[in-house]
Amino acid sequence: MLDTTTQPRSVGLPTAPRYAGWIGRAASSGLYRNTIGLLVDSRRVRLAVLAGVPLLWIAMLHIGPILQMANISLLANYPPQPDKSSEYTLANYGLFFSDRLYFVPFVRSLVFAAVVTISTLVIVYPVAYYVAKVVQPKNRMRALLLLLIPFWAGELIRTFSVIMLLANRGALNVLLREFGFIDRPIPMLYTFFSLSFGVIYLLALYMLLPLYSAIEKIPTPLIQAAADLGAGPFQRFRRVILPLSKDGIVSGCSLVYLTAVGVFAAPLLLGGPNSVIFPEVIATLFHGSNDKWPEGAAFSMIMLVVSLTTVGLFMRIVGGRSVRLM
Amino acid sequence: MRTYFNDLPKTALGASYWIFAVYLVLPLTLMTAMSFKDANFIAFPIGNWTLSWYAKVVQDKQFLEASLYSIGIALATTVSATIIGVWIALLVSAENIWGKAVIFALACLPAVVPGLINAISMRIFIRTVDIPTGTFAIILAHTVHAVPFVVIMVLTRLRSMPANLVDAARDLGADPFIAFLRVTIPYLMPALFGGMIFCVLTSIDDFVRTFFLGGYQPTLPMLIFAKVQGGMSPEINAMATIVLVVTTAIGIYAEHFTRRSRS
Repeated sequence: MLDTTTQPRSVGLPTAPRYAGWIGRAASSGLYRNTIGLLVDSRRVRLAVLAGVPLLWIAMLHIGPILQMANISLLANYPPQPDKSSEYTLANYGLFFSDRLYFVPFVRSLVFAAVVTISTLVIVYPVAYYVAKVVQPKNRMRALLLLLIPFWAGELIRTFSVIMLLANRGALNVLLREFGFIDRPIPMLYTFFSLSFGVIYLLALYMLLPLYSAIEKIPTPLIQAAADLGAGPFQRFRRVILPLSKDGIVSGCSLVYLTAVGVFAAPLLLGGPNSVIFPEVIATLFHGSNDKWPEGAAFSMIMLVVSLTTVGLFMRIVGGRSVRLM
Repeated sequence: MRTYFNDLPKTALGASYWIFAVYLVLPLTLMTAMSFKDANFIAFPIGNWTLSWYAKVVQDKQFLEASLYSIGIALATTVSATIIGVWIALLVSAENIWGKAVIFALACLPAVVPGLINAISMRIFIRTVDIPTGTFAIILAHTVHAVPFVVIMVLTRLRSMPANLVDAARDLGADPFIAFLRVTIPYLMPALFGGMIFCVLTSIDDFVRTFFLGGYQPTLPMLIFAKVQGGMSPEINAMATIVLVVTTAIGIYAEHFTRRSRS
């Protein structure tokens, strides 16, 4: 608080205002007053203080790593060795197109991410609609909270918990056998099914929140007007609700797709030999005995560019606004 | 509302909600139940129940060390991400800055780059600038990941702040820095709190960044991952359940807090 009661403000030369507490003591020191005086006087200094750290951070740590990755992806070998040349080459990118071992998991990854995205949209849309429009407003937060609670558990724990449900001696198989539907367990774990199940389980929230906030914004009178004018439930959905929730669909799908393309823990725990997707391929190039950083960097660049382009095209075609992250 | 809806779609929507809720809660419930199984392998039905796995985990030195390590990293991440995030948000919200949209887009970049690519590019980066893998590298990567979310939360709050609040403080004699400390920061508090909780939870959760940037000392997710790969026993379930309960408690508390401060 400004301490104006004990000391009448002097007219003429401005004196340092007095503050109470440690802030005040620091603020009254000569060093601080000189520094702040510089700040107030010069627009350039003010701008430098405001912009310096953020711009440096963004340049160094948001852009820098990706530029360096692009750089290394073009090197013949890294780290540079004295007996080998370290020239720029496109061979690392060429390797990707020449070897089925790399190309197939990549395509698989893209298809997998697309399937997961569409499934998540179809599963989550009615849920989001129900919470946003059918549930009474006073219960809405509670209904949403029930769905949010599982997402605080964390990526690895949720992935691990899926094993409990799908393993050969997991709950689902044991239950089915108990009721006599099957004689021997259906192998569900370590397949594409378990992987998709787990990834949808991980990412549903990224679809739920944008959809919910988009649907909630649709004015209910609009839906009622459509009903009054004779639109059936399907027509109301198709002509009114769906177009008006487009923003939510676009941001939800973009978020889920971008995360699903790069999903890493889930394939390690839930995937099997037949469901190797691209992130695992990239990881093996960095880890373990075969230290192939330029190839790994090139593959990462391909993945980054293709996934961002896909999302960009999707947004252009569907025509939603820019991705809203929250 | 009621009159305009035939009962059928409404029932179907309700059913979809409840099926989805069960889908979300069921695996975690099963995982928790399994932590009480009195046998050293994971399989249903549970049969005999015991608390011995919890007794074992609580005394497990590795688990305690990993927990403390994870919490330390989460706190360091939270402090640095909040400072950087607020700073960037202030820059973007300043009135006369050229290229604001570009700065904002680049500030959000780590949030749209897939996590794996993010981790790999950071791994390449720290090798370039000669930072060893380990604690500092993990904190750096977690901070880069958390900053965009802090920026967005703080910006949303800043936009709703009346501009004349700071002007009033300045007129009353506060210098820019004091005005920021005594007016802007208190106004941002709800967003800061939300951002901090987000930082803590994402940092404690993170697997892929730690996988590429970690040293020999395991964080909690790395420890659980190593145990899963080494052969599964209900011990992992007990460990995961403890983490689950703690993180969920933090999340619910944060939700409660933000809702109370909003109303």
